[in-house]
Amino acid sequence: MSFLTPLYLLGALGLAIPIILHLLHDRPKNKQEFGSLMFLDKTKPPVDRKRRPTHLLLLLLRCLALLLLAFVFARPFTTVDDPADAGRRDRQWITVLLDRSASMQRGDLWQQAKAKVQTALGQLGPGDRFTLIAYDDSTASLAEVKSWLGSASEAEVNTQLERLAKPGFGGSNLGQALVFVGEAIQEAEPEADEQPLARREIIVISDLQKGSRLDAVQGYEWPTGIRVTLEQIGEDDQGNAGIEPVASRMPWATAGAAPSFRISNSANGISDELEFLAHTTAGETLSQIVNVPPGRSRVVELPGEWEGKTVERLAIRGDAAEFDNQFHFAQNRQQTVRIVYIGEDKPNDAEGSLFYLKSAFQKSSTLDFQVEAVSGKSTDPLPEADLFVIGDAVDDPLAQALGQAIEGGSTALMVVQSPSQAANLGQWLGADGVVIRDIASSDYALLHSLKLDDPVLAVFRDARFSDFTNLHFWKHRELQNLPDEGIDVLARFDSGAPAWLAARRGEGRLLVMASGWTPADSQLALSTKFIPLLYSILLPVLEDKTQSRQFVVGREVDVTRFNNGQGGGVTVMPPGDGAAAIPVDTVFTPAAPGLYSAKGSGWSETFAVNLSPAESRTEPIGMEQFQKLGLPMSTPAAAPLAVESAKKTETHRREYWQWALAAVLLFVTLETVLAAKGSRTAEPAAI
Amino acid sequence: MEIRSLSLRARAVVEGFMSGLHRSPRTGFSTEFTEYRQYSPGDDVRFLDWKVMARTDREFIKKFEDETNLRCTFLVDFSKSMEFGGDDAGVKKSDYARTFAASLAWFLTQQRDAVGLATFDRDVREFIPPRYRRDQLKTILGRLETQPAGNATDLCQALEKLASLVGKRGMIVLVSDFLSPLDELERCLSLFTAAGHDVRAVQVLHPREVDFNFEDAAIFEDMESGQNLILDPGMARESYQQKYNAHNAALDAIFSAQGIPGFRVTTAEPLERVLQRFLEERPARAVVRQRRSPGRSAA
Repeated sequence: MSFLTPLYLLGALGLAIPIILHLLHDRPKNKQEFGSLMFLDKTKPPVDRKRRPTHLLLLLLRCLALLLLAFVFARPFTTVDDPADAGRRDRQWITVLLDRSASMQRGDLWQQAKAKVQTALGQLGPGDRFTLIAYDDSTASLAEVKSWLGSASEAEVNTQLERLAKPGFGGSNLGQALVFVGEAIQEAEPEADEQPLARREIIVISDLQKGSRLDAVQGYEWPTGIRVTLEQIGEDDQGNAGIEPVASRMPWATAGAAPSFRISNSANGISDELEFLAHTTAGETLSQIVNVPPGRSRVVELPGEWEGKTVERLAIRGDAAEFDNQFHFAQNRQQTVRIVYIGEDKPNDAEGSLFYLKSAFQKSSTLDFQVEAVSGKSTDPLPEADLFVIGDAVDDPLAQALGQAIEGGSTALMVVQSPSQAANLGQWLGADGVVIRDIASSDYALLHSLKLDDPVLAVFRDARFSDFTNLHFWKHRELQNLPDEGIDVLARFDSGAPAWLAARRGEGRLLVMASGWTPADSQLALSTKFIPLLYSILLPVLEDKTQSRQFVVGREVDVTRFNNGQGGGVTVMPPGDGAAAIPVDTVFTPAAPGLYSAKGSGWSETFAVNLSPAESRTEPIGMEQFQKLGLPMSTPAAAPLAVESAKKTETHRREYWQWALAAVLLFVTLETVLAAKGSRTAEPAAI
Repeated sequence: MEIRSLSLRARAVVEGFMSGLHRSPRTGFSTEFTEYRQYSPGDDVRFLDWKVMARTDREFIKKFEDETNLRCTFLVDFSKSMEFGGDDAGVKKSDYARTFAASLAWFLTQQRDAVGLATFDRDVREFIPPRYRRDQLKTILGRLETQPAGNATDLCQALEKLASLVGKRGMIVLVSDFLSPLDELERCLSLFTAAGHDVRAVQVLHPREVDFNFEDAAIFEDMESGQNLILDPGMARESYQQKYNAHNAALDAIFSAQGIPGFRVTTAEPLERVLQRFLEERPARAVVRQRRSPGRSAA
């Protein structure tokens, strides 16, 4: 038997203390009251020459407890050299989760990560199970060895590892990877002749940057018996700055606004002065100094002098890590929104509806509104449009076409201005006997019972905008014999008659207003509600037309959006010269950042793919966050992969300190019981 | 101390003691008989016998039977240290002291003397001025029967205060264990002796305080201060007795310097004998007061 820390055996000298104390007399228990102690001096406690047997037993227990305590601290062990015994070591399953997200491109992190994988391989013994999994946004299994065969298996794993030459450009979803591996280990069925696994461990080799997503682990009940060891690399992070676009909440409303970008600097950034660069398609480079203190972010717009130049790439310079400093930029092309007004109004007639409709839709940098007027009596085919506004009675060929267009998915807004529109309304709503009656009243009408939950009126839901009492309707019509089903009354007049209706017909929808917006009908055209209401009706179209063309590596790009939802026959050209075109049906997942172009028959679109903005947050995650998630962590210090040989010897060593500690506890308990008993029996004798 | 009531106990003691004093139970104290005396200017007219004056046309002063010749005040130590004793350890010092005071008070009341009582510990607790009244003895016995409060003794402070309370000259019987520092005692006693009081000191001790006869080691607790001391009595006895003797010698020296007769008694001694010893003791200084009547100097 040897001792790991033999110096602690000196603690056995403490035995002298109970022996001396036992030689001294116990403190007398009986109390004697005395008139005055003025004639008495303090004397030394008398030595007891006659010892009772219980005291001997107590002394023995106390001495034994002290001896064993010294023994425990000295950590006694015996070395097991028996090879048969060594062969009986417990079988383990080690899964290595290797981070290959973009942030691992920094410095020599990848080399460090690979070295850590090698160290993990060194832990394996014959028969162990090993899995190597690489993760970024997705999870991919690289190697799986069910029964470790030493160097042969190691070579196999290394071949797989070498194939993964460098990390990719993906984001980092550690949570998803952990859950994936946890479930895989839990569900793995042991084979019949297999030795059971004594230990299951997941070793995460990653830079554990703050941008890693962990949300998948939240709420996931971690299977018991699987331990997680975090092997953090790149702890000497020198900070990083990142760039990401700032998405506008209502891109169609920002007329002529320059695109803006958020430049953020991490708290441990090396400099607060960053250079913001823009590379144009013409090969020009424009630069600007941006001051971003560490730990803060700043939103910058493309400066005015850059206007008119097509910027294809933005960059920042001045931080420690280069991997995320490029930002590819595809400017949104101006899209056309077609609105067809069917009626007899003149475009310049301020008493008509068309005049206000045209004024409401103004051109912006992203949208070009084209308002076309068509006579209701026209026999021409119905032009294509994103919104039909019907302000007058429509004659049959056109009315039928309109009905079909609505059923086919178009949106139509019918402004009831005369009883003659009753036939059209009945036709489009699929109801017979609809009657429109002019309400002759000297008083004005107000709106009430507004259905603000409906998407059309949702824009007014905020209490600041929901006041319609200033909106007076001088004239309105009453719609009678409407069908009971399929119609939503969005608003009523104060008389109770429906004012605004919405009806879903087939794929499309028909909105009906029982009073127009012309000055003769109401104050609507001149009120602040008019433009929001029209944009709200057009909202699905606007959202579709102003979709961003900025995408993130590893996330799916729906190429059909560039061709009005039509898929098939699209080829995507990745960035870089000589890259092979990729035929895509509907969805394409980019693997690298850059400007891609999608080509179909007769159309071509450019879109930009960039790194996930979260990858720029390279400062390490606090360990407490992992603990909060309830992962059964092995402390990084307790998993010394580097001292693998020392650990192996440890497993062959048989230690006894746990048993000795148990004995100490037993003796102390016995001593307490005996001492308590002794004091109880002594008390009555003292009285 | 089998008799519970202090009044009964005092009576038993006095009767037992009187039976040994047939010849002259009133030794040492003079009594007066009733008489008439010619009025002289300056006498209190309240004492004029109006009937005689009406009959004889002469002014006579009427002398009262119940005028006393002695004012005796008992100063009894009620401190916590006096509670030592009791149960199997014999009579408590406080019981002994109270019985002693009660017996003497009874005896003096029988002689129609004015008796007063003061009890003290750190301070004066009770003070009943000496009077001869029918219920005076009852009051005194009642007060003596109250239990001590349990405070430390400060003999000197209590005496200083009492010196201002006890006005007329008389006999002062100081009953205490005198187990407290003696530095200031002489000065405080002199306040009484200088005022002409006949001071007598009775030191009541428990036999164990005299010989420190304890067997087992124990935690000795001071009854007054609550201070603890772990002691083996065998080891401590010699030193205790030395100090005890020195203390008593110093006390005796103070008494003799002040002309105070001191009586050291233990609670083991029969009380009658102590009472007899006490009464037979002649005062060191002649301070016996004669009755003083109006218009006539002391005899």
